[in-house]
Amino acid sequence: MQPTRILFHRSVWKGPHIVPLHIARPKPGERATPVKTQQRSATILPSFVGLRFQVHNGIVYHDITITEEMVGHKLGEFAPTRKRFKYTQTKNR
Amino acid sequence: MVFILGINFSERKMVAKALQGFFGIGPSVSRTIMAHHHIHKTCRIGQLSQDQVVSMQSELSNMTIENNLRRKILDNIKRLRDIGAYRGRRHAMNLPVRGQRTRTQIKTATKLNRVERRL
Repeated sequence: MQPTRILFHRSVWKGPHIVPLHIARPKPGERATPVKTQQRSATILPSFVGLRFQVHNGIVYHDITITEEMVGHKLGEFAPTRKRFKYTQTKNR
Repeated sequence: MVFILGINFSERKMVAKALQGFFGIGPSVSRTIMAHHHIHKTCRIGQLSQDQVVSMQSELSNMTIENNLRRKILDNIKRLRDIGAYRGRRHAMNLPVRGQRTRTQIKTATKLNRVERRL
């Protein structure tokens, strides 16, 4: 039996995909600057809760504030990469 | 007539089929439950002893089935929607959730993938 296949999950022995991110702790009195990153596959760890991230979607950086419920998801899940389909009539036919 | 979890089953009904009538119990789970209580697979409701009915009922009441399971599934979708994850957004747009193509053949997804999913 392969339990991970049933759970539709990553193998347990690998652990979560942890990416070293440059999270700067703000000095007292200063506002925390958002963490700008292109690491969409980084797992959100419990220590990220409350931090602000700017996650790249290929073009722009999306602002995300991490809440407790997001732990375990990936950063990329919160920065949409696709444009909505929009029908435009051609001008020159 | 035998009551199991408040539902009336006729004595002629197969136990395996009766269990599969509950939302959240399919062929495999019903087989497991029957094995727990030493019931053979062609057994009918009328042939069950009173002890078997009682112990089966206590096992069923500890499982997440029927409305508890429905609520759990809806809560999971709603959680994804509330945190703004990609999967939740796809549910809200009634589109395929797991990266299927959307050029053609998305009738099932548009029908089923909703935040207030019909179960």
